[in-house]
Amino acid sequence: MVKLIGAVFIIVATTVIGFEASRHLSDRPQQLRSLRSALQSLEAEIMYGHTPLHEAARRLSAQLSKPLSNFFDSFAKKLTDTETTVNEAWETSLREVWKSTALKKGEFEIMKQFGETLGRHDRFSQQKHIMLTLSHLEREEANAIQAQMKYEKMVKSLGFLSGLLLIILLF
Amino acid sequence: MGLEVDIIFKIAGVGIVVAFLHTVLDQVGKKEYAQWVTLFGFIYILFQVASIVDDLFQKIKSVFLFQ
Repeated sequence: MVKLIGAVFIIVATTVIGFEASRHLSDRPQQLRSLRSALQSLEAEIMYGHTPLHEAARRLSAQLSKPLSNFFDSFAKKLTDTETTVNEAWETSLREVWKSTALKKGEFEIMKQFGETLGRHDRFSQQKHIMLTLSHLEREEANAIQAQMKYEKMVKSLGFLSGLLLIILLF
Repeated sequence: MGLEVDIIFKIAGVGIVVAFLHTVLDQVGKKEYAQWVTLFGFIYILFQVASIVDDLFQKIKSVFLFQ
């Protein structure tokens, strides 16, 4: 009886791990897509709205969904509340939020480099930098979608099967 | 005798699960991992079978050579 309960625990745990990993894989393209739409809105705010950066960031955080909205929220807060440069505020809020997203190192570097250009140039060079970042993110998104298609099913069945194997070995 | 049947089922179970793992890993192109999984499954079963065969030989020895 106790053995059976233990077996159920093991299989539930490994299955949950598998599903969690596959959720991570499917979250990544989605978050990349919303990141791209965020940058597009930022471009519109800068080019056509002439909005100040902290105001634009606040609007973006209202538009976006959870992990990325936190990023723009903390960015806006840092810009208004503390004595700091745009680059620093961007990078520190990027670091704060990055742990809670499904995004990886490559995207982090892209966003960090974008933060270094933010607010330094006139509107048209800023637009060009946004375009560059968007194209980089698009490439990452294509990679992420490919990885998702390839590994999502595998991770799920791997979790379940490894649990099953563990039970048989320990029984 | 009960123990023997148990062990046969265990071996069969390991075989099925390892075969599934091999197919899944093979399909996504992780051939090297698939081969490692199969190899480890094989080694584990080999140990089990070796200990059972050892038991058998001990039994034969005790029946025929030493009273």
